[in-house]
Amino acid sequence: MDLSVAIGGKKLPNPVGVASGTFGYGGEYEQLVDFAAIGALYTKAVTLLPRPGNDIPRIVETPSGLINSIGLANVGVDRFVSEKMPHCRELPCAVVVNIAGSSADEYARVLEKLETCPGIWGYEINVSCPNVKHGGMAFGTDPAQVERLTADLRKRTKNPIVVKLTPNVTDIRTIAKAAQEGGADAVSCINTLVGMVIDVGAKKPVLPMGTGGLSGPAILPVGVAATYAVSRAVSIPVIGLGGISGSLDALQYLLAGASAVQIGTANFVDPTTAARVLAGIREFCEREKLSCIKDLHRFIP
Amino acid sequence: MKQFIAKILSHAPVSDCFFELAFAWDAAAGPVLPGQFCTIRVSPYSAPLLRRPFAFSRYDEKAGVAAIAYKKRGPATELLSCKPSGETIDVIGPLGNDFFRFATAGYTHVYLVAGGTGFGPIAFLANHCAQRNLACTVILGCRTRSQLPRLNIVPSVKAVVCTDDGTEGIHGTPLTYLAALSPPQYTSSAVFSCGPAPLLAGCHEWALARGLSCFVSMEQVMACGVGACMGCAVRVTDAGANGFARACTEGPVFDSRRILWT
Repeated sequence: MDLSVAIGGKKLPNPVGVASGTFGYGGEYEQLVDFAAIGALYTKAVTLLPRPGNDIPRIVETPSGLINSIGLANVGVDRFVSEKMPHCRELPCAVVVNIAGSSADEYARVLEKLETCPGIWGYEINVSCPNVKHGGMAFGTDPAQVERLTADLRKRTKNPIVVKLTPNVTDIRTIAKAAQEGGADAVSCINTLVGMVIDVGAKKPVLPMGTGGLSGPAILPVGVAATYAVSRAVSIPVIGLGGISGSLDALQYLLAGASAVQIGTANFVDPTTAARVLAGIREFCEREKLSCIKDLHRFIP
Repeated sequence: MKQFIAKILSHAPVSDCFFELAFAWDAAAGPVLPGQFCTIRVSPYSAPLLRRPFAFSRYDEKAGVAAIAYKKRGPATELLSCKPSGETIDVIGPLGNDFFRFATAGYTHVYLVAGGTGFGPIAFLANHCAQRNLACTVILGCRTRSQLPRLNIVPSVKAVVCTDDGTEGIHGTPLTYLAALSPPQYTSSAVFSCGPAPLLAGCHEWALARGLSCFVSMEQVMACGVGACMGCAVRVTDAGANGFARACTEGPVFDSRRILWT
């Protein structure tokens, strides 16, 4: 059976990727994971200048979930290109570079620098990070800004552009449509939900920023519902993510209308999750005599 | 570093609040050094979700055995404490750097200071030092006599016990003991410490005031354990690191002068 996924004129070898921020730049997991089983590595977000990230503590566990407030800590695009890409481009999987910025100009400048760097399959545009004061989610909650930003980046590359959507909006479909209008080749759905944990003894939030982004099994049904809604609102492929820990979770996303999925927080729990999920999807499709991922879309109208 | 399923060989309390869990070590994961840690998945379900980091308390390469020491302090360690010998655990390790890499600077004697669960890696380090003919003194602090763990260190190593309530050994903390030392006793020495943050900070100040080096094992909430998530950041003084370093891969052992103590 054919498990490849077509996005923007290119193909991912299989539908199971590892989500941005959970797999670093790949090298961190090299001794633990067979990258040949991974469809795509979505890198840690890259910004124009290096960012130190937010104050500590940055993570707190919640019931079946995890709230993070990393704050886009990264080495910056120049060091990404010189230090990380030489290794990334040797990986047998597609490398999708996640781009973040505080302004439209910053996104554009990061993308232009990456365009000169061989080995990049495509870009995931992070307009949905809840943990930074400027940019991030501020872009992703405004359809007009999402469309303008996507259109501007579209002009600068022929590589696939995937816009990563935030669920922290009234209607995620309007943002997805805006991304499509701007020329996105796909949307990833969803980034983390805004959450807060309060230390009752200290009578203050555990995270210095107050809130962070909730991920993990707790958000699985939210992501599936968003994927169901978005995949019916746009014609471009939807990449589903949020709370996937096993192949049954991933199959929910694919049945809801996703063309591919990403594994996020589950990588921390079991780095081999992506390989396990891929094997489970393959087994299911063979058992159900489905010939490709698209065949999964006909069951739920 | 490797992820593997390990059989629990022994699992027992070593005091009224600490446990030691020994498990079969997969040789393919490589050797273990004092200060390094592993992560263990304590539940196959979604809660508790994250793997938990545990420092090694001993390692026997020939026997193929590694052990961790821990304190029950939440749902994850509560669950772990229920696992009997013969059962298996999902382990990733060894992770992080080690203490001994810092012990090569010509010290004739080192102070190994442990507080609470820090006794595990410090006992491991003490035996490691003894095998390599580096003289050391272990200073172990805990709240009260009943919490004192069996230390499992070779008899040649001097061990000093301190209890907060004075029920055993010196009445006070390891810092009380250090403060009472006079100069000839710590010439050409260094401090290695593992335990609660105030103890680490105190060791740092004690060493700094005497022109000695101090190396501390930093603890932080951790998600991936391999340097990918940037979650376990600790504050450091060097601008090159943008003010933060990852406890999991750049540590957990740091030169105490690199840590931004607050």
